Amino acid sequence: MKKRIIFHIDVNSAYLSWEAVHRLQKGDDVDLREIPSVVGGNEETRHGIVLAKSVPAKKYDIKTGETLFSARNKCPNLVVVPPNYTLYMQCSSAMMEILKEYSPAIQRYSIDEVFLDYTHITDHLGAPVEVAYKIRNRIKNHLGFTVNIGIGSNKLLAKMASEFEKPNRVHTLFEDEIQEKMWPLPVEELFFVGRATASKLKSRGIITIGELAKTDVNYLQQFLKSHGLLIWNYANGRDNSSVRNEKPPMKGLGNSNTIAFDVTEEETVYQILLALSETLGMRIRNVEKCAYVVAISIKNHHLFSYSHQKKLDVPIDSTNMIYKHAKDLFNQAWKGEPIRHLGIYLSSLCSNDFCQLSLFTADESQNRKLDGAIDKIRLKYGSNSIIRSCFLNAGINPLMGGVISEEEYPMMSSLL
Amino acid sequence: MKLLMKPIEMIAWFTKEGVPTPIKYRLMEDAANITIKVDRVIIRDEEKLAGNKMFIYRCQSILDNTEKIYELKYEINTCKWFLYKW
Repeated sequence: MKKRIIFHIDVNSAYLSWEAVHRLQKGDDVDLREIPSVVGGNEETRHGIVLAKSVPAKKYDIKTGETLFSARNKCPNLVVVPPNYTLYMQCSSAMMEILKEYSPAIQRYSIDEVFLDYTHITDHLGAPVEVAYKIRNRIKNHLGFTVNIGIGSNKLLAKMASEFEKPNRVHTLFEDEIQEKMWPLPVEELFFVGRATASKLKSRGIITIGELAKTDVNYLQQFLKSHGLLIWNYANGRDNSSVRNEKPPMKGLGNSNTIAFDVTEEETVYQILLALSETLGMRIRNVEKCAYVVAISIKNHHLFSYSHQKKLDVPIDSTNMIYKHAKDLFNQAWKGEPIRHLGIYLSSLCSNDFCQLSLFTADESQNRKLDGAIDKIRLKYGSNSIIRSCFLNAGINPLMGGVISEEEYPMMSSLL
Repeated sequence: MKLLMKPIEMIAWFTKEGVPTPIKYRLMEDAANITIKVDRVIIRDEEKLAGNKMFIYRCQSILDNTEKIYELKYEINTCKWFLYKW
């Protein structure tokens, strides 16, 4: 079999550079990428964290995910711009359009990351590195933002390569380069080694990726279980996942919301759960699934999170049933303290083609018809065209959760 | 030329393919409307920055007996015209 060649295209500080290019096109005379700036949420509704930062902002030690308050403390004249998810979709799609010209096998891994299978294209378009430079330049000249392109013999190596030096670079990482380029890196740089795993490894003296690669896999599995085998394979540059044009199968779905104020009253919580159920119900019906497991999560005013879940005998997809079970779970779990963040999650999905009738639950056929009609109205006239009367003057958004309600926004998957 | 990006009112003609050509436009200057006729489109270019498609026109008009070269922009998404550079 021919040796695989995979590209990983990663937009440099995506949200920020897209906003910067957009503003320049609209006649702004400041390039956000050249000043200390961040894309951040709205502090008034308590979504005030750094979503993306410019290179000059990085010099002030501003980190993605920290609060805008602490970011401003580090850099008083920091420019903060709000996120614009519709713009991000537009930029990402324009980039996809260019990439489609180079291979039929393309996977949009997240809004700003794309895998491209170049294996059999070499004969037609030329050497991989040259083509990567061509793609990089085209994106920069036509779309105005910079990307890093990693080239490797599988998706993992390509992804690791694109992380090397930024911005606007092309790197390769083939099997014979692993020892030289990847093994000296600290272990937390490896894909899938997060904070928790990194500290477990470090406490056992495994500091670099190379050391991880040379560790006995049985020993890793003793304390990391199957995840140990996965990262050991990754450390050795082994990954055989294919560049998927379609999305991996959905295992579960959820919506959550950070509320603009601390909620202390049950009534308000119920309304928020209902608003989340509305969004979630529409989504699960849209993918034609039913869920056996409902879970809720609560984050309190001390930023402490806990969750509660239950398995149902009969799978559900109706807004009312999701709401009912979420409410029950909430009543069982809530300790009575002020709440900052609420979420509902559905998993153990099954197809909604056939549904098991139950003697002990109410007839769902009326509910199904109603949900179907509401979904159709919302699809045709917009998601706020029909809302429940309890949300009138409630000051609560009748549909909660998600970044863009109208459009499908590609979130990063945990699978390569 | 200085970057302005000022919204303007425009009369334009469109080809069958949907490509517009500017004819005459009006802008507010010191609380008064000024109407300018586009005498010649020198170059038409297309840009796609941030995935947002725009046509850029380098144009020429006679103003106070002098020849002036400037640039106009048309944003396809919003159907808005701008005086881009003056």
